[in-house]
Amino acid sequence: MNWSYPVDPYWMVALKALLVVVGLLTAFAFMTLIERRLLARFQVRMGPNRVGPFGLLQPLADAIKSIFKEDIVVAQADRFLFVLAPLISVVFALLAFGLIPFGPPGSFFGYQPWVINLDLGILYLFAVSELAVYGIFLSGWASGSKYSLLGSLRSSASLISYELGLGLALLAPVLLVGSLNLNDIVNWQKENGWLFLYAFPAFLVYLIASMAEAARTPFDLPEAEQELVGGYHTEYSSIKWALFQMAEYIHFITASALIPTLFLGGWTMPVLEVPYLWMFLKIAFFLFLFIWIRATWFRLRYDQLLRFGWGFLFPVALLWFLVTALVVALDLPRTYLLYLSALSFLALLGAVLYTPKPARKGGGA
Amino acid sequence: MSPLEALALLFLLGTGVLVVTLRNAIHAALALILNFLILAGLYVALDARFLGFIQIIVYAGAIVVLFLFVIMLLFAAQGEVGFDPLVRSKPLAALLALGVAGVLLSGLWGLRLAFTQDLKGGLPQALGPLLYGDWLFVLLAVGFLLMAATVVAVALVEPGKASRTQEAEKREEVVR
Repeated sequence: MNWSYPVDPYWMVALKALLVVVGLLTAFAFMTLIERRLLARFQVRMGPNRVGPFGLLQPLADAIKSIFKEDIVVAQADRFLFVLAPLISVVFALLAFGLIPFGPPGSFFGYQPWVINLDLGILYLFAVSELAVYGIFLSGWASGSKYSLLGSLRSSASLISYELGLGLALLAPVLLVGSLNLNDIVNWQKENGWLFLYAFPAFLVYLIASMAEAARTPFDLPEAEQELVGGYHTEYSSIKWALFQMAEYIHFITASALIPTLFLGGWTMPVLEVPYLWMFLKIAFFLFLFIWIRATWFRLRYDQLLRFGWGFLFPVALLWFLVTALVVALDLPRTYLLYLSALSFLALLGAVLYTPKPARKGGGA
Repeated sequence: MSPLEALALLFLLGTGVLVVTLRNAIHAALALILNFLILAGLYVALDARFLGFIQIIVYAGAIVVLFLFVIMLLFAAQGEVGFDPLVRSKPLAALLALGVAGVLLSGLWGLRLAFTQDLKGGLPQALGPLLYGDWLFVLLAVGFLLMAATVVAVALVEPGKASRTQEAEKREEVVR
């Protein structure tokens, strides 16, 4: 199982990088609209539907509004870092997406359907997502406001905590595949079956942790409006604020593309294999799932968030890593992992179904 | 030395100087990140790709974030905050730093860096067997050192101890 991949000329790589950036920015603009419309449907409202047919021009109106609003740099701010922070956020959010393969080699008009193909792909993802934390971190400090500082401190603490669960969850698939390259991982899944069948607990941990990394609702403490006004971007206005939103949505889209790539076979499908179709469908599914969760779930309290990350996700990921390592080291048949992860799924199902309702013990309001 | 190598060296030294001379601790930490990123780029250029990415993840990512946490929580961003326990000790510090650099260089001098293994561009698939084979005990020793440091750090800030001293102080106050 030694796959080698063709390499594109540099002008093509540059073109594809441009395409990814433009595509992500467009997707960001329309995701805001889609999310607002979907949330409105979940809450039995109309949502934005005035600008253009079905509100389709709403993102354009929002963009014009946010560019032409007054751009305030508060007096207490560290001017240089205040401007730098949103730029860091957006740049490092954009960098991760180019790694994701959308089809077999040569399916992009004879070129490769990915921007870069790194042997250390997963490490690259971690490096980029860790550096993206600095955007949030510096914005909070540079604003010179207590709310911003608290927001950025708690969000970077939670991001770093969940990064651990994220990394450990990925170790199990990496051990099975024996490579950090995303193309290798997809090809392995094409030959041996999707990885979430082999590593269901790792899949679950990764799903939850990447939701936290993208700061989606059960974990959207960075901008808990009720507690912190706006979190790290309290003092930001107009286009700088829009840049933070942009970074957040790009993280969200990237996470929705990475989960299928790593655990659900990427662009492959057992039946009717069309290079781009399934990848886009899987991305859309996860985007919808995350919006759905946002519409139905409540926000965790801060200590609950950290306790959940360190006390539950981390041990589960570690345990599954040990199980996978044992199977790989002793060279046992990999089907054991299939049974074990099915068992863990049943255990989860049982735990969900048989959790007794909390009973009120006397007194109460 | 090729022009690119000279440029990398220049950047490394420049950011290093910035780390020491910038008055604002946060700006200094950012210069440190820049320094680490350039170093990681150098590693990648030297075909030590795994090391390069680990440099970014561990040092530029995790460790500088910890620095920043401490700086922000102590409101220690400005040079004028707090007191200076070591007055006029900068020359001494410079001397010590030069000494450490000399020791490290002398260690490097005696080392035979002729590897027979092909490290395949420093990929983990090639590094793993080496680290957990020939260098296993060195790795374990480093791990033990780090663990000892962690244990000591936790023991130093043990909450029970602090409260006991506070109680003792209170009792003394009552006696007084």
